[in-house]
Amino acid sequence: MTRPSLLGSLAISAFLFVSSLGCLIIQPDLERLAPLWQASLFASMLLIVASYSFSKAASLKTVPFLALDTLLCSAILYLAYSGILHEGFVIRRPLGVGASFDYSFILPLLIFFASLLCIKDAINILYDYRAKGREVLVFLAVRLSAVLSLLLLGGILFIIVYKGIGVISWDFLTTPHRRLGQAGGISTAILGSLWMVLGAMVISSPLGIGAAIYLNEYSKSQRLNRIITIAVSCLNGVPSVVFGLFGLAFLVSYLGVSLLSGSIILGLINIPTIILTCQEALKSVPNSLREGSLALGATKWQTIRKVVLPSAAPGILTGVIIGVAKASGETAPIMWTAVTFTATPVQMIYGVIPNVFQPVNNLDYHLLNLIYFLGAWDVEARAWGTALVLIALVLGTNMLAIVVRNHYRKKISW
Amino acid sequence: MPRKYSEFSVEALLFISAIASILIMILIFYFLIHESLPAFSQLGIVSLVFGSKWHPSGDIYGMMPIIATSIIITLLALFINILIGLPLAIYLAELAGPRSQAVLKPSIELLAGVPSIVYGFLGVIILVTYLQDSFDLLTGRSILAGSMLLGVMFIPRLTTICEDSLRAVPGEFKEGSLALGANRWQTLRNVTIPAASSGITAAILLNIGSIIGETMAVLLVVGNVARMASPMYDIFDQGASFTSIIAGEMGEVARGSMHYHVLFAVGFVLLIVVTIFSLIADYARIRIKRKFGGY
Repeated sequence: MTRPSLLGSLAISAFLFVSSLGCLIIQPDLERLAPLWQASLFASMLLIVASYSFSKAASLKTVPFLALDTLLCSAILYLAYSGILHEGFVIRRPLGVGASFDYSFILPLLIFFASLLCIKDAINILYDYRAKGREVLVFLAVRLSAVLSLLLLGGILFIIVYKGIGVISWDFLTTPHRRLGQAGGISTAILGSLWMVLGAMVISSPLGIGAAIYLNEYSKSQRLNRIITIAVSCLNGVPSVVFGLFGLAFLVSYLGVSLLSGSIILGLINIPTIILTCQEALKSVPNSLREGSLALGATKWQTIRKVVLPSAAPGILTGVIIGVAKASGETAPIMWTAVTFTATPVQMIYGVIPNVFQPVNNLDYHLLNLIYFLGAWDVEARAWGTALVLIALVLGTNMLAIVVRNHYRKKISW
Repeated sequence: MPRKYSEFSVEALLFISAIASILIMILIFYFLIHESLPAFSQLGIVSLVFGSKWHPSGDIYGMMPIIATSIIITLLALFINILIGLPLAIYLAELAGPRSQAVLKPSIELLAGVPSIVYGFLGVIILVTYLQDSFDLLTGRSILAGSMLLGVMFIPRLTTICEDSLRAVPGEFKEGSLALGANRWQTLRNVTIPAASSGITAAILLNIGSIIGETMAVLLVVGNVARMASPMYDIFDQGASFTSIIAGEMGEVARGSMHYHVLFAVGFVLLIVVTIFSLIADYARIRIKRKFGGY
């Protein structure tokens, strides 16, 4: 008898939970929902209290918990029912903070809270307040928050694709922007990004891979290894805006605001990522391979070049690809050192090599400028389009890295 | 003989690339100190760092509002981050079936790569408008908006590292606990999470560093007004963090002016703070490795 009524109250509370959470997010008119919420909360409470008094769980030890929860729920119910919490109810700037909390925020919040209490009590009674009930409760909460956070993260991706896909066209991708981004496309930004990232990889890959090889294969001094590792992890933590300052103070005075400065800075940012991933890759090569090669009379460098590097190649490639993704998503370090909001295409020398001493446009910087223009000009659609292109570029390269890694992980067996 | 020379030159080249990161770190410190020295020497370290007013137009510079706001933003963002990220990690490591793991883990790793400018864009379009409408704010650009955005942004990073350290706890630990009659939640709370706590701590420390250092997303939603929130706890007020003040004002200052040097000084303080956090995280990782052998 108690079981079905508890399940019923759980179902009602679940409805309360979902609907109040939804209302917190979209903030619709609550005229219809409010009476429904009151009725459901009342029903749910009644079912819980009734089933509690008929169940085996009723005892002096558990009664205070239930009494407290019931009291809170009835207080919420009273507030909603008596009309204290009416339409137009506002707590205006409490304690001097700059926000007001109105009816359409407070009511869903209270209902949300009450639904959580009801779910908790119903499950506890269902399992007679034993440890099993607690396990079910906690794992339910973990599952719920996992689902919610996945919805949040998925929603972010979805909304960019949904809003941006309408703007994408061949024209948008292949023409430069006109009238401050209100018309035209983003071709200069795409090209600028590509050249800059390419330059960054040319600078960071040899340095990063070389450092990883030295640390893993050559270095004999434990202390030097330790110092380099610390430097790498510090470098990894240096905020991108500090790299921007560094570039402004150091590179811009020699190279000017130019593609080259941007590439160097992005390259420096990438070095730690590449070192760390390459070290992982080199570590996974078994020593027997190295020893076999050395035993055949190969020198150390021959061993590395012919045996170790080919075996570690997929891992190294993964690191480089992750570096590409990271470099194409950075804005702060290049803002003052490499980019302008230009519609002129990248100048080429002999039609093949870009002139590295010119400032170029860049996807991230283009998007930043469009965001600044948002209120003033009609650029929102194009901003969504730019965001979609940027995200497709970055996530596409990241996905490539994951695919490469998984593919070779399955294939290689020592 | 030539073979020996080539061996040697290769090793020398590799050595140079290995110490490159030390050199870069030294160069960064050198240039930040060099450019911020005029600010520190002319305004005085104490009055620059602990001064409570920031008025670039009147050449009055005090970093206290920026430091206070940065601390509030970081704490709030970290709270949101852990609140959402840790349950997700627990779900992935303990509850998810193999098939959903195979889908979810790579996609969460993928999401860690979403550029911060895109988060900033979403923050401006969606979050700021939402806060402005639902709390009747003067402007939705607020400390709260910045912290929410940062908290959400770094969920994938926290989740990935925490999940790895939860998974690295040896199965025997859990099996032992389960065999003693504890249920899965008791095992998780009393065995798995304490055993993985050092990895989780390292993840949180790393995340603190990234939250403090994140620029574009904060710059766009935080309002970038360097003043103390009028009651200290008013998270609905506008503010400015280390990164947002640098990124927001550096574009407009004249090279070599006092404002320019002061912004470098802000960057230097930021660099020190972040470096301390990465050193602690690094130390924690080493100690953990020594203590537990790898998780």
